Amino acid sequence: MINTLLIFPIIAAVLVLVIKNKKFDIAMVNLYALLHFVITTMICCGFGNKNASAYFAVDDTNLIFLLVLSVVYLAVAVYNAGYAKNFEVSERRISHYSFMILVFVLSMTGTLLSTDLGLAWVLVEATTLSSAYLIYFNKTKHSIEAAWKYVFICSIGIALAFVGIILLNISSANVNTLNFNELYKYASSFDVNWLKMAFVFMLFGFGAKMGLAPVHFWLPDAHSEAPSPISALLSAALLNSAFLVIVRVYKIETLAGCANSARFLLILMGFISLFITAVFVYHIKNYKRMLAYSSIENMGILSIGLALGGIAYYAIILHLIGHSLAKASFFLTSGNVLELFGTKRIKSVNGLLKADKKTGWLWIVSFLAICAFPTSVLFISEFLIVKTMVEQKHYILCGLFLLLLTIILYGIGYVIIKTSLGKISEDKVKLIEENRHKVSVCMYIPQIIMLILVFVLGIYIPPFLNNIIKLAVANF
Amino acid sequence: MTDGFIILFGLTMLYLAATSRIIAHIRLLIIQGVLLFLICCGEHANGLNIIFMIIETLVVKSIVIPWFLYRVLKKTHSNRDAAANIPHFYCLVISSIILLGGFLLSNYYISSVKLISSMYFGVSISTIIISLWLITIKHKIISNVIEFITMENGIFLLSLSVAKEMPMLVNMGVLLDVFIAVYILGLFVNEINKEFKDLEVSNLSDLKDYEYND
Repeated sequence: MINTLLIFPIIAAVLVLVIKNKKFDIAMVNLYALLHFVITTMICCGFGNKNASAYFAVDDTNLIFLLVLSVVYLAVAVYNAGYAKNFEVSERRISHYSFMILVFVLSMTGTLLSTDLGLAWVLVEATTLSSAYLIYFNKTKHSIEAAWKYVFICSIGIALAFVGIILLNISSANVNTLNFNELYKYASSFDVNWLKMAFVFMLFGFGAKMGLAPVHFWLPDAHSEAPSPISALLSAALLNSAFLVIVRVYKIETLAGCANSARFLLILMGFISLFITAVFVYHIKNYKRMLAYSSIENMGILSIGLALGGIAYYAIILHLIGHSLAKASFFLTSGNVLELFGTKRIKSVNGLLKADKKTGWLWIVSFLAICAFPTSVLFISEFLIVKTMVEQKHYILCGLFLLLLTIILYGIGYVIIKTSLGKISEDKVKLIEENRHKVSVCMYIPQIIMLILVFVLGIYIPPFLNNIIKLAVANF
Repeated sequence: MTDGFIILFGLTMLYLAATSRIIAHIRLLIIQGVLLFLICCGEHANGLNIIFMIIETLVVKSIVIPWFLYRVLKKTHSNRDAAANIPHFYCLVISSIILLGGFLLSNYYISSVKLISSMYFGVSISTIIISLWLITIKHKIISNVIEFITMENGIFLLSLSVAKEMPMLVNMGVLLDVFIAVYILGLFVNEINKEFKDLEVSNLSDLKDYEYND
């Protein structure tokens, strides 16, 4: 079952490279998305074998991550079918593009499923290498700058994470394994000082991949320069898979009894992320960069939640689901805006509701979803995190948390109101008329479905999903 | 004997800090690869592992990667990284201090730990730090790639310092990843050269938060 998830994309990728046909390439990406979704749903419902091999398995922790990846990838693939029609590039480049998407999703799936820390490391690095081409896809000066920063910063980060793995290996003394379950089993016998040092390196390494400040510098550049479906995948799926590795390593720390220093680091990086977002989002000039900063903020919230523990575990799972769905929908909609207006500059975008009603409303509703407007599931998660802070008597942190979130909300809200209302400037009217045919039906439906999910999950969580979440929380 | 090779390895980092000709840096990568091979020879005698070590150090680290970088260098015609932020003399002094720090750290604090040998640990940690520090002060993109590789070499040495062996699969994966990373970075160096006409890092500072210049 899981084997299919990992083997199909390899075959598909080879086929895509050999048969350079645009329709076939896009169909392969969609087919893998469909297959991914069907298999994941079946695993969630209890069908199929959960352990593919010694190195890949579905366990209680990664199942929810896999489900989120599946849903987001399906949505992105549907959107991509409409988006790719507008590409004015050679068939060869589209075949490379589809090839890289397949490899990218394969390596993310592999990261989620891997039962071995070393293997997870290898696959996280593989995600960097495969998505670099996707970020560079537009072949402009800016996209090459973004892609270079992305590969370089992430590779160095990941290399430092490997130092962390070596240090973990030193601390584990006579236990010579990197298998997560084995590590959990013997964690209490590990040398605490080495383990603490290992966590610092791994948090910085995988944190760079996850987009935690102060090692987030690649993130706004890469997200803003990549094609919109790729930005959605990066933000809604890639960051999560790096987060899963951090969650697993954090569990080792907890079991070894040195969670306090780890907790401090997580809270520190979380708050720096919130602070950086609050500072930069306020005067930002490019709306895709703004969305990228919002991702940094949400990753910060995840890391704070992880550090708090207790109910916050439940909250961060909800937050992860909500953020992935809402942010994917936001980035995909930003693709529509870009197609219509032909610019990412906030100043040049006005009267989105008049230009295209559906895109305008999607833009506003995505904002409401991401800013935790009830009944968005993010409302519940952020509420639970605040509640945990109050329960644990972190009053100052709680105040700071709310203050920073409010500033960020104001910054993003201001831009959204400015871009969606008002009149379209006269020089843009003609351009928008010309571009309107580019936005096809495929480019609305995924966002609508994801936003409905976000708002429905805030009121009603189906029992099977609740079970999966509870299992994950129990294993954190 | 092995200790001598490790010290030589540390000294190559000083050479890297003190020179500006990029072709010399590439030759240095070859030397580092060979030194790593010699260090490995003194360590592991296990059959399958030794084949892997030979492939990793001799074939990849001292032939394939330098050859590839040499080709990139020829294509891009960038010979020197002259205008570093800090003069070479100070580079040399600071690198020496870092190296000394590594030795002191390992001798006073790490020597009590049974599992790792202090010589490896000190040199590898200082190699990683010197590489990271050189990345921040060099001006040419291709030198950044070279320092990235020396950092990977440092990490390789660190992984040798642990008496236990990493699982084979992980080693293979790491090797593959590093190799592909260098390959992709090399491709990007070519693209940057085409797009910007030279390889200055300052070309790549156009994306900003408070300005819009698309």
